[in-house]
Amino acid sequence: MSQRINPELKKELLKFGAKDWNDCYHCGNCTATCQLTEREILFPRKAIRQAQMGLTESLASNADPWLCYYCGDCSDTCPRDANPGEIMMTLRRYLTSVYDWTGFSGMLYKSAKAHIVVMLVLFLSVVAAFLIFGGPMITELTSDGGVRLNTFAPAEIIAGIDHIVLLTLSFFLLTNMINMYYKVVLKDKTVHIPWYLYFTEIGEALLNFGTQLRFSKCNKSRMYWFGHWFLMIGYVTMFVLIIFFLSWFQTDNINVWYHPQRLIGYIITAGFLFGTIFFMIGRIRKKKQIFKHSHHSDWIFVVLLFLVAFSGILIHIFRINGLPFATYYTYVAHLAFEIPMVVTFVAFSKWSHLAYRPLAIYFSNMKKKTRELQLKSKLSVSY
Amino acid sequence: MRTQETTGMFLYHPGNGHLDKLNFTELFAYSESHEDVAVVWDSKTFPLWDIEYLKSQIQKYKLSRIIIAGYDTGMVKPIFARVFSNLQLNVENILLEDFKEHGILESGNTELGKALLSCAIYNVALEDILPDEEKKVCTETLIIGAGIAGIQAALEIANANHKVHLIERTGTIGGHMAMFDKTFPTLDCAACILTPKMVEIGQHPSINLLTYSEVQSVTGTPGNFKVKVLQKARRVSLSKCIGCGSCAEKCPGKARSEFDVGTTFRKAIYIPFPQAVPNKYLIDAEACRYVQGKKCGVCVKNCPVPGCIDLDEKDSEIELCVGNIIIATGFKTFEATKLANYGYGSFPNVLTSLEFERLTNAAGPTEGKITFRTQNKKGDWIFSPQSDSPERVGIIHCVGSRDINHNQYCSRVCCMYSLKLAHLVKEKIPDAEVYEYYIDMRSFGKGYEAFYERIKSEGVHLLRGKPAEVRMDENNLIIRSEDIDGRRLLEQKVDMVILSVGLEPAAGSAEIAKLCGVTTDSDGWMDEANYVTSPVNTFAEGVLIAGLCQGPKDIPDTVAQASAAASEVLQHIVRTSMRKNIPELPLAEIRTRAKNLSLKMEDRK
Ligand SMILES: Cc1cc2nc3c(=O)[nH]c(=O)nc-3n(C[C@H](O)[C@H](O)[C@H](O)COP(=O)(O)OP(=O)(O)OC[C@H]3O[C@@H](n4cnc5c(N)ncnc54)[C@H](O)[C@@H]3O)c2cc1C
Ligand code: SF4
Ligand code: SF4
Ligand code: SF4
Ligand code: SF4
Repeated sequence: MSQRINPELKKELLKFGAKDWNDCYHCGNCTATCQLTEREILFPRKAIRQAQMGLTESLASNADPWLCYYCGDCSDTCPRDANPGEIMMTLRRYLTSVYDWTGFSGMLYKSAKAHIVVMLVLFLSVVAAFLIFGGPMITELTSDGGVRLNTFAPAEIIAGIDHIVLLTLSFFLLTNMINMYYKVVLKDKTVHIPWYLYFTEIGEALLNFGTQLRFSKCNKSRMYWFGHWFLMIGYVTMFVLIIFFLSWFQTDNINVWYHPQRLIGYIITAGFLFGTIFFMIGRIRKKKQIFKHSHHSDWIFVVLLFLVAFSGILIHIFRINGLPFATYYTYVAHLAFEIPMVVTFVAFSKWSHLAYRPLAIYFSNMKKKTRELQLKSKLSVSY
Repeated sequence: MRTQETTGMFLYHPGNGHLDKLNFTELFAYSESHEDVAVVWDSKTFPLWDIEYLKSQIQKYKLSRIIIAGYDTGMVKPIFARVFSNLQLNVENILLEDFKEHGILESGNTELGKALLSCAIYNVALEDILPDEEKKVCTETLIIGAGIAGIQAALEIANANHKVHLIERTGTIGGHMAMFDKTFPTLDCAACILTPKMVEIGQHPSINLLTYSEVQSVTGTPGNFKVKVLQKARRVSLSKCIGCGSCAEKCPGKARSEFDVGTTFRKAIYIPFPQAVPNKYLIDAEACRYVQGKKCGVCVKNCPVPGCIDLDEKDSEIELCVGNIIIATGFKTFEATKLANYGYGSFPNVLTSLEFERLTNAAGPTEGKITFRTQNKKGDWIFSPQSDSPERVGIIHCVGSRDINHNQYCSRVCCMYSLKLAHLVKEKIPDAEVYEYYIDMRSFGKGYEAFYERIKSEGVHLLRGKPAEVRMDENNLIIRSEDIDGRRLLEQKVDMVILSVGLEPAAGSAEIAKLCGVTTDSDGWMDEANYVTSPVNTFAEGVLIAGLCQGPKDIPDTVAQASAAASEVLQHIVRTSMRKNIPELPLAEIRTRAKNLSLKMEDRK
């Protein structure tokens, strides 16, 4: 299989966050250290090689970076301090932009400025939308002393907008996933996956999506695995609440504190606040391997998530304490943080890994099974 | 003649930081203070590349002689030469005074720089103006460390009929080489090469061998070092002991043998190994019951020579006067327990290469049979000839070397000795499978690549990829690595693992370097004066380095370097005068002496 070498690839990849690609002297220590590698699934060294050599096509069809959960073991023991874990992280960013046919993702990743400008535009649009279409800001309170938030921003309308945003983003994410399938599976001429494997292998991929069990195989990262899993469950629950149950969640009633609407809200917000503060401190201190290198998208992400969670809890406090204007303004701010975050991250940046990672596991497993079958049939011929 | 010449001084500093430690402003002012210098130029401000300007300046001051002083002075000489010949001046009157050659760049000794400038101005050599008593040098030589490097250098100097004091810290000479069975790439028997040399050292009339001794202090000046040596008490007389071993038979004291790198036990009264030089017993004070204050003395009773063992002997100190010092303190191996992932120290059959050298040595603990490390009745892990032999052996390269987390340098010999060890396994256990894990195969020397090919053809599995871990299931050691050439992840089961540990400066070599005024690099290896052109000299005049103490190398290179150091010492002895690092004369005195000497020389003409 011949392919063109792209001498510009290295320069391109540097923009996605890695520091230097040339430190690696290919000792293979990282591949052997990683607890997630398998007989034929070799990373991170192989991907580093492809990157160093400018093999754009091989990289595009290599789904291995998605199999790495960035525990940092490989970087800790790399004899050249080449940071293989961080290189995998960079490659995930790069691959996200490769799958994204709009080119929007690459733009956000490569330039912090572009990302911030896009955020600002969206932020202002949300504020403007409220100025134009927002409901009346009444100061009259409900019978139990809460703010009438749903008069200012009726849950049905907000939910409607949510649905539109969701549908649009789903469209992009889905097409990107199909693009990934094309690049990783269809373009890889070395394996022809038999159709039935598509059904037999889907179970494990789904299981992994739900539990991230693969991650728990990492050596010292049980805690980190749990944190990551908890965060993921948090996102998904929040998503479901906002998309399908917004009118239940965004209510003007003041429920008793142990009401599920309040409890769920508290638990998730606390989780988000704790998680984002933990990540921010980590990224400032740079002690742990995964926090040593921060790309601008990492920062924008944690800061926004923090702001969203923080403004969310403020709305709740203002609302039940009957502070109408504070409630309305924070609500606008809350959405003005949330919409840009969702729009930029779900289909075009960090969050899309929620889709790509299980897909990568799915594709990898199918390829692995196919190879095993090929090997078996070869052996039976030679016997 | 000189009085008719008009001298100009050009101070050249190329701005590459080499002269940073010297005070150039002072040197400039000092040059100007000489009435015999018409003009002093500073290369920083002088437009040297403007030939016409240079020409006009030379004419302006009517210069007929130029001294170029500074760093890399040869670089700019052609420019002056061109102008000189253009003006029909004598090109031989362009003199170079390069500070690089006097070791003052590192010391930043501006005073010595001034002295050298004065001498250059009056065209005399610094050593010629020193008082006679300072010129006298001692022709005896001190060699610290008696591995192959120290042995080789000692023999060469002694064979030229000059006295050598050879100091060795342990009870025997021989160093690491004495531990090996064979040496790469020729697979010569190490003992067959080394033992005759060791015996020669022991018998040479010009060699004063001081084993079990250490250097305490070095004072004095190059050519006249005063060295204090601590002779630890051997407690067995070197002159009386006949080496019969009767004393050790019933000795109750016990310790792990240093020579067998701790893989066996020896008695408190012991001989390091049967071919040791001197071939005499000695007592390990820490293991001896009597010295530790308990009742014993069994050895004295059993020794057939009266008065041979003196259990109460005390350490003594002697003082030597030597002209030159060769440091040959060698190396120690990387501490393998630092790499917990390879399990050394937890799994008994993960060995270091040095342990394996002893195991496979015909004169070693198992008489050369490669066996598992097992527990003796008392529960100590040792090598014994009764245990079984491994069928699968793994060898891991670069242990502690080429690793940013440990030593960043390549230890240079481990690739080759690993191949040698693979061969020895195959030779002794032909059915054994040997798996050798390397990052890059560095077979750099003459005949080395051929040796590599030979080992490959012997059926050793050579695997590219640095193993991440060695772990253990019930019966096997498992080495996990990426088999880079085979494109797979490999978990190879083996019975024994050999760690090819890297090399580090010997324990205590930093102290020795400091005593002798030698600098070391960030890894602890001693600095040579110039890596390319002066590999055995150091910045300390009269102190030379040879062998591993300068950096990792194999035996042939060690021997070559030792010979070079010996030849350097012989040169110094023949010259009988040494240029001193810092003349004890005051600067003004040097200047007057230089001027008088040059006048005297002119009168003679
Ligand atoms: C496992 C292994 C296998 C090897 N196999 C080969 C091979 O097959 N072929 C080959 O060419 N090379 C081989 N080498 C390299 C070889 O060992 C060295 O090149 C050689 O031994 C260097 O000799 P040396 O005299 O400089 O140092 P050493 O052999 O270390 O001798 C130094 C001596 O100085 C003494 N000493 C140290 N400090 C002091 C002090 N402060 N005062 C007094 N005495 C002191 C020590 O006790 C020692 O006797 C091997 C190395 C290892 C580790
Ligand atoms: S990244 Fe580091 S550990 Fe991995 S192959 Fe390169 S040098 Fe070795
Ligand atoms: S960071 Fe962890 S999961 Fe990722 S490649 Fe390195 S060892 Fe494997
Ligand atoms: S006195 Fe010391 S050396 Fe002698 S036999 Fe007793 S323990 Fe051994
Ligand atoms: S000589 Fe070979 S084994 Fe030793 S450090 Fe160098 S590359 Fe590694």
